[in-house]
Amino acid sequence: MTQLIVGQLLNGAIVGTLYGIVALGVTLTFGITGIVNFALGVFMMLGAYATWYFADVVGLPYPLAVLAAIAVTAAAGLVADQALFRFTRNNLVNGLLVSLGLIAVLEATALLVFTSTPKEMHRVLPGIVMAAGLVLPKIKLVVFALLLVVIFATYAALTRTWIGRAAYAYSQNPEAAALMGVSTARLQSGVVVYSCALAGLGGALYAALYSLEPTLGSLFILKAVEAAILAGIGSVTGALLGGVILGVTEGVGSIYLPLAFRDAYGLVFLVVILLFKPAGLFAGRR
Amino acid sequence: MKRLAATLVIAALLAALPLATRSDFVLTILVFAFLQGMLAVSFNLVFGYAGQLSMFHAAAFGIAAYATHLFGKHLGVGYWSGVLLAATLVGAISVVVGAICFRFRLREFYFAVVTLAFSEMARLTVLNWNSMTNGSLGINLQDKATIWIPGAGIRPIESTLAWYYVALAALGVTILLCWRLVHSWMGRAFAAIRLNDELGDTLGINVFRYKLAAFTAGSVMAAFAGSLYAYFLGSLEPGFLSIDTSLGIIAMVLLGGRSAVAAPVVGALVLTALPHVIHFSAEIRSIVYGAILIFTILAMPQGIYGTAATLWRRHRAA
Repeated sequence: MTQLIVGQLLNGAIVGTLYGIVALGVTLTFGITGIVNFALGVFMMLGAYATWYFADVVGLPYPLAVLAAIAVTAAAGLVADQALFRFTRNNLVNGLLVSLGLIAVLEATALLVFTSTPKEMHRVLPGIVMAAGLVLPKIKLVVFALLLVVIFATYAALTRTWIGRAAYAYSQNPEAAALMGVSTARLQSGVVVYSCALAGLGGALYAALYSLEPTLGSLFILKAVEAAILAGIGSVTGALLGGVILGVTEGVGSIYLPLAFRDAYGLVFLVVILLFKPAGLFAGRR
Repeated sequence: MKRLAATLVIAALLAALPLATRSDFVLTILVFAFLQGMLAVSFNLVFGYAGQLSMFHAAAFGIAAYATHLFGKHLGVGYWSGVLLAATLVGAISVVVGAICFRFRLREFYFAVVTLAFSEMARLTVLNWNSMTNGSLGINLQDKATIWIPGAGIRPIESTLAWYYVALAALGVTILLCWRLVHSWMGRAFAAIRLNDELGDTLGINVFRYKLAAFTAGSVMAAFAGSLYAYFLGSLEPGFLSIDTSLGIIAMVLLGGRSAVAAPVVGALVLTALPHVIHFSAEIRSIVYGAILIFTILAMPQGIYGTAATLWRRHRAA
């Protein structure tokens, strides 16, 4: 029983970092453009399918396929930003609805192109690690480590570089930031594109762990938004923690409670947090 | 006055339409469009007038559809008693959900997320309560909706023509109720809350009470739409409560327009008729839906009704 619980804790933490990487995109986009980009889920799906395509159809080695997939999602993000999201800055409802429209279009396109039959990518890095009676696939550990590195690198970039300071300045006072020489339009587009690339990375790593379906993004974006809100929207490390808390809640929750309601545990938790701690669990942290 | 005359003319034309065509195809599309229109009009009361982006509308619609059937089956009540009980149930649930959301002052996006969470919980319950709802397979309705006809007693509604008049009447009542609401002192309170609820508070408007009133009224109207829709369709499925249903309702309202009570019906007509007139696969339909949603928001934020009204005014002025 202890093993089962520890196993679910670890599994939850690993899935949680995947929620976290998308949640980071949600949080950054919200902080800088004032909209919640629900379409990040389909960018994740795009990244996952692109990885599968580059690795299994074109035949690139997996790491190169991941990089190519990130490039594809970033490019798609740039197009979406310039064609659509540019016009919905700071308009929450319109941004929400445009991203819902984009989801409908991209998800249905993926269904047409890739069909609803799940795609399995070839096994990347087979093999397991045994530690203290626990069996862990190597690939899961690599994914976990990689996501942590990217999230902390983003945190470092935001706190240690000029661009990061510009982003914080902008989120506090857009006009003052513009007067100090921050190119606000470019900053906004950059953040939207970076968020899409993060979602693409999440998808690329997801492809190595699970089978792919066109609807995978819709499930993930809900979890990511939950994670972002859980932590208090706008907090980078909070997005990671929110994701992990959510993943662990689901993992451990489904040991003790009916599995069918797995997706509901996170929701109940989210509602309770929003009601009693509306600024999020880690309010006030960056 | 002019507006009243125009409304009466349109109502009379719709009532007389079956004289021109008895085509089952046309009437069926119109019945679906009217019932979807009820949903869209009632959603617009909450969203367009009171300014609350509720994602609970699909849940209200679906819960009522299931409840009508289950009340009939397990309590043995007739169709309309079932409808009333279902509407009461949805009203009670909405009061609880709304009271939680508004008591804790959830706004805009947070309100949408929490109502979405409640809606998903309802969907998961319907999906997993196999003994009552038959899970993901849904239920084929064997019983029929009934209607009382003077002189003939209670009869099942069977022909599409009968459904046409029932749906038209239901839509008419919904529009009338919403119109009465938004053109009363209550409607002015809704507008104040939509524009600035803190200011409304300082002016002595009980923001909590009016938000709750709008939310509950909208949900109860959606409940009636759900009870009728399921029985016209002849089946129940958990998809009634899905996010896609909410998305569809939002698309109808945006496409039709938010500025007039009946404007969303235009959106409901277009979006219901479109897939039947041009034969799309489900994927293409979804792509067209999304494209319409994006196009409307970016290029035509007032919707068809609002844009047409602006063009008409400009034409008159010129």
